[in-house]
Amino acid sequence: MQPDNVRIHLPGGMNMPPFGVHQYLALIIVAVSLWALGSGWMGLQATGQWVGTWQQQMVLHVYLPQEHKKELKALQEGLQAVDGVGQVEYMAREDSAKWMRQWLGNSALDVQTLSERLPETLLVRLLDDEAGQFVADDIREVAERRHALINEDEVALLGMREVLDKVEVLAWFVSTLLALAMALIVSNTLRMILLARANEVHLMRLLGAKEWFVRMPFVLEGVTLGAGAGLLAWLLLWPWVWGSSEWLEGSMVELHVGILFLPLLIGGALLGCVGALIATARLVSPDSVVES
Amino acid sequence: MSERKTIIEMQQLMLRYPTGKVALSGINLTIEQGQFVYLTGESGAGKSSLLRMFYGGLRPSSGQLQVQKTDIRTAGEASVRAVRRRTGIVFQDHRLLFSRTVFENVALPLRVQGWNNERLIPRVRKVLEFVRLDDRLWSYPEALSGGEQQRIAIARAMVATPAVILADEPTGNLDEDTARHVLDLLMELNKMGTTVIMATHDLHLLNSHPGRVVQLHAGALVEDSHATR
Repeated sequence: MQPDNVRIHLPGGMNMPPFGVHQYLALIIVAVSLWALGSGWMGLQATGQWVGTWQQQMVLHVYLPQEHKKELKALQEGLQAVDGVGQVEYMAREDSAKWMRQWLGNSALDVQTLSERLPETLLVRLLDDEAGQFVADDIREVAERRHALINEDEVALLGMREVLDKVEVLAWFVSTLLALAMALIVSNTLRMILLARANEVHLMRLLGAKEWFVRMPFVLEGVTLGAGAGLLAWLLLWPWVWGSSEWLEGSMVELHVGILFLPLLIGGALLGCVGALIATARLVSPDSVVES
Repeated sequence: MSERKTIIEMQQLMLRYPTGKVALSGINLTIEQGQFVYLTGESGAGKSSLLRMFYGGLRPSSGQLQVQKTDIRTAGEASVRAVRRRTGIVFQDHRLLFSRTVFENVALPLRVQGWNNERLIPRVRKVLEFVRLDDRLWSYPEALSGGEQQRIAIARAMVATPAVILADEPTGNLDEDTARHVLDLLMELNKMGTTVIMATHDLHLLNSHPGRVVQLHAGALVEDSHATR
């Protein structure tokens, strides 16, 4: 009879060896790296949404000083004629002053005095977000011709998408580097385990085991380690979401962490598999079968 | 009288290591099924090299070597693996896996050959009964004596009922009594039809356990007794 406390665990084939300290350590390191990657991509997702939301409501403010007030109509017509401009609205100085007083916390400001000093303001709504930067250049040209000024901070924000595209390329580059580093971590861990089990591997080969039979447990171990790290990394993303939920709601950003589940799980498993293949690539035993 | 099957045959066998050292040269030998063959000779005579060639661990540099109808010199990986599956090997240092139980050690050859656990347990128990260690099935090798460890190694070598058992100095680290017990087991296996080829320099064992003696000296075959049991 097999005693209750004895578990048969034969090596080779589809039998994965039990996890030890080295494997758990590698799992944590890979999970932290994957979590950093996931956080980066989630941040990119949030920024993308924020910029997208902001651009949908995008208006450019064009200011005309009081001394050129007579050019207001011509400026409005000129701006309306620009390709990509949807609507040009005049914002009464009194309204601007009211808004400003509200913004300053309803201070005891003399709105009449303030409004007399404010420039004439036109709100220019853009039609096409993608062409925003080019439309802004045309608006600036028309405004300058009529001695008006465009709000350059708003124009700068229009370029955010271009910046985001560059950040995304950088994120892919960093992801690739980290993936390579993680594959090497898994590979090193498995290499250590492999060296510790060198006798077992050698013996299996002496007994006529096929190569897949000898290597498969290590590949399975790598895949499990990577997939486990991916799952852990995904779970660790949730505290980010919960912690920043108020801010995200205020910014009209809704994060979809679910879409990172499969990339992290499958990506982790794939990395583990690559690491295992690297580790077992030169698995030489003294009496390995060598073709003559 | 029935003709015995040739299990190993070599002609003008030569082995030269990459360093240039000639380990074996001009060896002509035929071993038939069911024989008990002692390979004797001083250290460095080429006994272990010859044994290693029998399971494809080394390839002959020239000459011919047929092991169980496989030409070891030209055999592919699959053919060498097939030879190994039909060969039991016993080492001087027994090469047991100390992190695994006696059962797992003995079951390893069957596991490699794809046996499932249900079939493994009775078979392993049977061979451990043969080496009289069935009560140690779930022990770890480090809890066993040197003689018991070597008997486990014999059990592992015989568990897949191989046609040949190669034993490289299996009694080298054992006292005389224990060595005799180990040899008794090999003799018993031989009586059951298994060909046993054993490298040894314990010549005094030959008196109590007679067999065919093939003597090597400096890589050459110098004597072949052709003794019959």
